Amino acid sequence: MLGIYIHIPFCERKCNYCAFSSFVNIEKEQDRYISSLLQEIEDFTFDNYEFNNELAKLGKTKTQTYDVDTIYIGGGTPSLLNLDILAKILNKIKEKFNVIQNSEITIECNPNSLTLEKALGYKSLGINRVSLGIQSLDDEELKFIGRLHNSSQALEAIDIVKETGIKNISCDLIIGLQNQTPEKFKQQLETLIKKDIKHISTYMLQIEDGTPLAKFVSHNADYLPSEDENVLIYKENASFLENNGFKRYEVSNFAKIGYESRHNFKYWTGENYIGFGLGAHSYIDGIRYANASNFEDYYNRKLALKEILSKEELIEEHLMLGLRCACGVDIKYLEKLGKDIENNENFKYLLKKNIIFKMGNKFFLEPNYYEVNNYVIVKLMA
Amino acid sequence: MDRIDKIRNFCIVAHIDHGKSTLADRLIERTGTLAKRDMQDQLLDSMDIEREKGITIKLTPTRMTYHYQGEDYELNLIDTPGHVDFTYEVSRSLAACEGAILIVDASQGVEAQTLANAYLAIDNNLDILPVINKIDLPSARPEEVKKEIEDVVGIPAMHAPCISAKDGTNIDQVLEMIVKEFPSPKGDENGKLKCLIFDSYYDNFKGAICLIRVFDGSVKVGDKIKMMQTGKVFDVTEVGIFVPFVKPIESLKAGDVGYLAGSIKNLSDVEVGDTITSAINPIDTPLPGYKKVQPVVFCGVFPVDGAKYNELKDALEKLKLNDASLEFQPEVSQALGYGFRCGFLGLLHLEIITERIEREFNLDIITTAPSVYYRVHKTDGKVEELSNPSSLPPPTEINYIEEPVVKASIYTPPEYVGAIMELCQDKRGVYKDLTYLDTNRVRVSYILPLGEIIFDFFDSLKSRTKGYASLDYEMAGYERSELVRVDILLNGEKCDALSIIVHKDKAYSRGRALTEKLKKIIPRQLFEVPIQAAIGSKVIARETVSAMRKDVLAKCYGGDITRKRKLLEKQKEGKKRMRKIGSVEIPSEAFMSILKLDDEDK
Repeated sequence: MLGIYIHIPFCERKCNYCAFSSFVNIEKEQDRYISSLLQEIEDFTFDNYEFNNELAKLGKTKTQTYDVDTIYIGGGTPSLLNLDILAKILNKIKEKFNVIQNSEITIECNPNSLTLEKALGYKSLGINRVSLGIQSLDDEELKFIGRLHNSSQALEAIDIVKETGIKNISCDLIIGLQNQTPEKFKQQLETLIKKDIKHISTYMLQIEDGTPLAKFVSHNADYLPSEDENVLIYKENASFLENNGFKRYEVSNFAKIGYESRHNFKYWTGENYIGFGLGAHSYIDGIRYANASNFEDYYNRKLALKEILSKEELIEEHLMLGLRCACGVDIKYLEKLGKDIENNENFKYLLKKNIIFKMGNKFFLEPNYYEVNNYVIVKLMA
Repeated sequence: MDRIDKIRNFCIVAHIDHGKSTLADRLIERTGTLAKRDMQDQLLDSMDIEREKGITIKLTPTRMTYHYQGEDYELNLIDTPGHVDFTYEVSRSLAACEGAILIVDASQGVEAQTLANAYLAIDNNLDILPVINKIDLPSARPEEVKKEIEDVVGIPAMHAPCISAKDGTNIDQVLEMIVKEFPSPKGDENGKLKCLIFDSYYDNFKGAICLIRVFDGSVKVGDKIKMMQTGKVFDVTEVGIFVPFVKPIESLKAGDVGYLAGSIKNLSDVEVGDTITSAINPIDTPLPGYKKVQPVVFCGVFPVDGAKYNELKDALEKLKLNDASLEFQPEVSQALGYGFRCGFLGLLHLEIITERIEREFNLDIITTAPSVYYRVHKTDGKVEELSNPSSLPPPTEINYIEEPVVKASIYTPPEYVGAIMELCQDKRGVYKDLTYLDTNRVRVSYILPLGEIIFDFFDSLKSRTKGYASLDYEMAGYERSELVRVDILLNGEKCDALSIIVHKDKAYSRGRALTEKLKKIIPRQLFEVPIQAAIGSKVIARETVSAMRKDVLAKCYGGDITRKRKLLEKQKEGKKRMRKIGSVEIPSEAFMSILKLDDEDK
């Protein structure tokens, strides 16, 4: 089954921490962009894609199916789009692909651009999962990172989605903002749990080079909580969520049973996904692609990346992704690619130290060590 | 005119950056030795490192033909290194010349190296021709500088050509002066063969190549020659000259400068300063001035990848051929495995060699903190010489230790004398002398422990004198000193490669500075890592690297897995440069960090 990602690169304004493909010139560019995006979907054919022969070792063959079971509309701010445009995009996907029954169809929304009318429209288009960019329930923090909503608008947005009957709501929260303590963060989680939110993502604030935030932090080093404080917030709240019926199925993702994001799982398990739109990434039959991330190049169908994964890279990715999430690392998979992990000295050491644990043919990262998973991955890659 | 009367062998000496290589380029260009389009900037500095650092390390002699008053003159330019580390190499190449061009920067005037090199040339009985360079600069003051040369160096300079090597101004004047002022070589081309080896390098096809100056006799392919110091005999397979690229010719005769190959496989058979003679009809006494070069600074060099020990050995052997002064012997470290203890002429030399190993041989290496040779007088009456702190015997077996000292001459404008004396005092210096060379130049002389000089003395000097002072030093024997070894323990385990020998009064501050520095360099690990400095079993300083808390938790945006993998691959590369001491991983630069300690104290 395929996953499809649609990128909507428009925002009302750019957040202070954002280093991704998004632009605030929606009026000027939108028409041209959407028609190019529709054309890109229209033109898609597997005939244009190769097969990475390394995958033959894993018993795989060239993908021909157009069956799709997850669609993810991300951005940017997809909720800025008018319903008719959204409808065109989804219809184009359905024309081209076979979107099966009960597919997971997600849209990312900013609390301030969501109305009940829009939300009802989403539901009628078949969207059944809404990911809300709440980020924080502290107004001061929201202002600091440059969001356009406040905490009451955030809670209102949740109510709007619930009113439509869409139950699968995900909320993003950022760890590492200025007023946070483990206790205050917990209060935010409690508020969300009371609202019967099924999925919560807690990301640590990444200071990306070249962003206004990076500039601010370079002059105000102590304004944000320290790394140690952030870890404390993360750890305490991970166990708080787990005590409240959430399962940590990935480093930063928590869900009630049955509400794990099926689309994100595709990223982590090496399944094929096709990204349409500016800067969108695809992974098809062992090859990674990325569209150009400026408009002109994108309109000319230029790629920013085409990467045929080598055997080593396939191994590295499987380790990296498998240890990030609850799906674990498949020892047989590594073996087929020629890596005998069980005789690796570092593997034995990590096993002995209870940093990883083994179950059947798979091994997993001990959840206590999720926050140092790079260290573990790098050790196993060596 | 005889052939030999039309030869001029000369070199160019200067303070660093006064324009030696640029003038050499212009001479080559003006004599038509190379067409302009073939010129690379600073042609004679053939190594990348030389060009980057703007210094000349290796000597490349060039033969030029200059047409003057109806005659073709053969001009042999022998380039010389311009750094205090390479004094011996300079002296050998000077011995191959009859004349020296002394370049002085028209705005900076006479500098420390100007003096040192001029005296070196005078000591070698060379005729000196001063040349004032960089007259294109607005701050140029050629007349004053001429007077300075006469006053400070003590050689006539009023008729010195004023040139701009950069713009090519008055280069012909220099060429004319070379022909007119410098004597032609003396020598008998029918006499017994007598050549000086002033440099050597290794060629993969021809073996060791000797760069030679023929004093008497002649040498051609097929001759049997003998190296007088090593006693080895070889058949000559090729002789030639540099124009400036290699050009084989029939023979080299008295007065000539060129090269000689003889299927010399063993690198150590060619020693700079040695005399070559005929094996059939040898001379009795070699040329004077040969000395075995003595390295003064030592450090351990280890491959990052332990399996590359043999490649490192190979690299060092190849480098040694080009560089008679490099010494090395195998060493084993608990922390770093198998490697070599290497000896260098100075810190710059150390830096150059280690960089060349990494660049030219593509080997990742770890170097330990530089050290000097200590003389350890033991209680049983035996004397041990050692440079490796970890081989120092236990204190109970030591009667006393001696360390090498140097006589340091620091040339400076008078206003910095106070700061310099303070620095020298701080570095355990003993004041010797203060001389006013003229109203704005003073020479301060101190006896300083060499071990202190290699701890960033030069950088401190430059920063305290805004770069105006320069340093020259020569070895001045050994002196008794209260020295102790400071060990570093990581997670309770001694790391032999981090031990240092220091004066006991400095042990505490160094120990503290070192642990603080290591705390900054050693990345957080999954567990807490205590770092201790100790003398014997007594801990004198302690720091702790707290356990790593997090290294991830970033979002994988929209399936951009590549970005994340690249990040990890970078971390993996970083890991390759890590060494494990017990269970602690430390980056390779930690081993050199000791060097930069004093920097941070300021």
